[in-house]
Amino acid sequence: MNTLIALIVGAATFYLGYSFYAKRIDEKIIKSDPKKATPAKMYMDGVDFSPASRNILYGYQFKSIAAAGPIVGAITAAGLWGWLPALLWLILGVTFVGWVQDYSAMMMAARRDGDSISAIAYKLVSPRSRTILLIFLFLYLLLIAGAFGNLLAGVLTNPTIPLGITMLALAGLLGGQMLYRWKMDIAVVTIVTVGLTLLVIALGPVAAVQGAVKGFNGWLDALNANQPIVSLFDPTAAAYAGGFVNIKVSYVFWLTFVAVFSYLGAALPVWRYAQPVNYVGFWIMALTILGGALGAAIAFFVKPELANFALPAFKVWDAGVKGTLQPLWPMLFVTIACGAISGWHALVSTVGTARQLENETDALPVGAGSMFSEMLLGVLALMAVSVAGKGVGAAAFATGVGNFLSIFGLDPKYGSALALAAFVIIVITVMQLVIRFMRVALTEALGDAMPIMRNLHVGTITSLVCMFLVVLTGTFVYLWQLFGGANQLMASLALMLVTLWLVSERRNALYAALPMLFMYVTTIAANLVTAWNLWAGVVQPGLGKANYEVVVFGGLLMIAIALLLVLLALFIGWDAWQSYSRMKSQQRAGVEAPA
Amino acid sequence: MPEEKKDTFFGSVKEFIYGMAAHDMTRYALKTRASMEHLFILITMGDLLGIPILPPYYSLRLLPYVVPQISTWKRRMLREKDLTDAMA
Repeated sequence: MNTLIALIVGAATFYLGYSFYAKRIDEKIIKSDPKKATPAKMYMDGVDFSPASRNILYGYQFKSIAAAGPIVGAITAAGLWGWLPALLWLILGVTFVGWVQDYSAMMMAARRDGDSISAIAYKLVSPRSRTILLIFLFLYLLLIAGAFGNLLAGVLTNPTIPLGITMLALAGLLGGQMLYRWKMDIAVVTIVTVGLTLLVIALGPVAAVQGAVKGFNGWLDALNANQPIVSLFDPTAAAYAGGFVNIKVSYVFWLTFVAVFSYLGAALPVWRYAQPVNYVGFWIMALTILGGALGAAIAFFVKPELANFALPAFKVWDAGVKGTLQPLWPMLFVTIACGAISGWHALVSTVGTARQLENETDALPVGAGSMFSEMLLGVLALMAVSVAGKGVGAAAFATGVGNFLSIFGLDPKYGSALALAAFVIIVITVMQLVIRFMRVALTEALGDAMPIMRNLHVGTITSLVCMFLVVLTGTFVYLWQLFGGANQLMASLALMLVTLWLVSERRNALYAALPMLFMYVTTIAANLVTAWNLWAGVVQPGLGKANYEVVVFGGLLMIAIALLLVLLALFIGWDAWQSYSRMKSQQRAGVEAPA
Repeated sequence: MPEEKKDTFFGSVKEFIYGMAAHDMTRYALKTRASMEHLFILITMGDLLGIPILPPYYSLRLLPYVVPQISTWKRRMLREKDLTDAMA
């Protein structure tokens, strides 16, 4: 296997899935009509409801859905089971499940006055389903923050990266000042801020910088006599053989760095920091991904040794170690979430894009098109990690992309530094938004009972403390799979709403109902497996042992979250079934189902 | 009826990049402006939505300037919202 074949497989999936399946559903079942007024036209307020061209919306939707998910998921799954299962799930998932959810949720919102997904759940399923969705959402945000926080703190201990990320924060502040205060041209702002950040990222691999950061990390670790603060068993450690991960002072420092970065994003005005940081980050991410994709395509002809997959196609059916379980089904389907299907997309499709559709017919290229494009991003991440062959996670991804970029004459050392920086940028920009959303969610949920939660700083710090708790007591792979479980359950709930909407409109709902059933059963099973893994791998070995109180507490907390997610999904599933039965009996009696 | 704009390749790429890089920023700026305006209208003209404020003399002086926005403002104020609306 090589990168060219992987790219051809990805492109063929895009073409065939879009042209022969998505278009057919659009024409035969949804029947999008260019003459029908969209919410953007009916309720145009120039703000939430405002028509935009399909090209703009395609970019907007793609940028909103394509974050760290397709990259981290693909590299974790390839490490656990090999590249073939990961590739198969990416292409089959996007073809039969992923685009179905994004596009159908968008059309459902467009046909229902631009209602949000929770408002539709309230009207179509039951009043309590809205509350359940909001609880889901908070847990989901917490798990994203935990998984990403864990990932970032680990990557930032690599001496190549911290300087570039510090520069990104400064460039963001500078960009905000130049753009909004000094009213400078956006082209100048882009050249200055992106140029400066790229320059400093390039300094990362320089020996003097590496030495200084290593020295700093060493000094931090010496504060605790080089001893770990806590040791966690991580089944992905030691090249997926399993081992103890030592959390040292330097790790806690870089986690605090991530927290401060996110705090600024949540507490400062959006124009001052979060927005310009995302803007600068976008260019670095886009340049790296575009260069990496081109390099991967050309590598086969120019340097075939860089195009061949070094990772095995298939490793094992069950990648669990030491009593824990990692069976291909159901765990692969939550490990790769975005790229194949993701519940987050349903949120963006309904409250974001559906309210800006100029024509109903734009929903297909925007919703389905951007989902297929995201699959290509997942394939790129998979290619990078498969070509690198050795190393795990972000490091393997960076090595692979560095190899692809070397096709253009860039020293692989600098290419890898750029790829690692782009990876951190993708994750850290999502992280700051997640903390901001968590703060808003806390204010909404607890603001009335505890007025202090309405305070911006209290809300943000509480969110960060929650993040610290799940990072320091959790294990990356379980955090990631729990996040994937929450994300995929949300996706199955979105598909459930789509199914009910189609039934209420007397349309053929099978194309949404079958993926919904698959995702619903799979993710409930995956969450139960994760709960078992946490019990067998984290809690049970630590029970009664000195210094393991924190680890045991964290394991129990994550088990509680996993079980709560399952319980909430069962509640909403039951309500949906009752709603479905009610609709069917009303339709049999000749009564119009309530809209 | 205005003629429909034709997509050109470079125009589409430009719009796509704008959509990825800056559409969010533009929307946020518009949302901020609209929120400030709508708050101002709520304070001065809240009685139009049934909020019991006595319309002062200055509200009536401002009324002609607010009229074009009243329908949008009413819709935005009365629309049911929850956390998910803040996420995009």
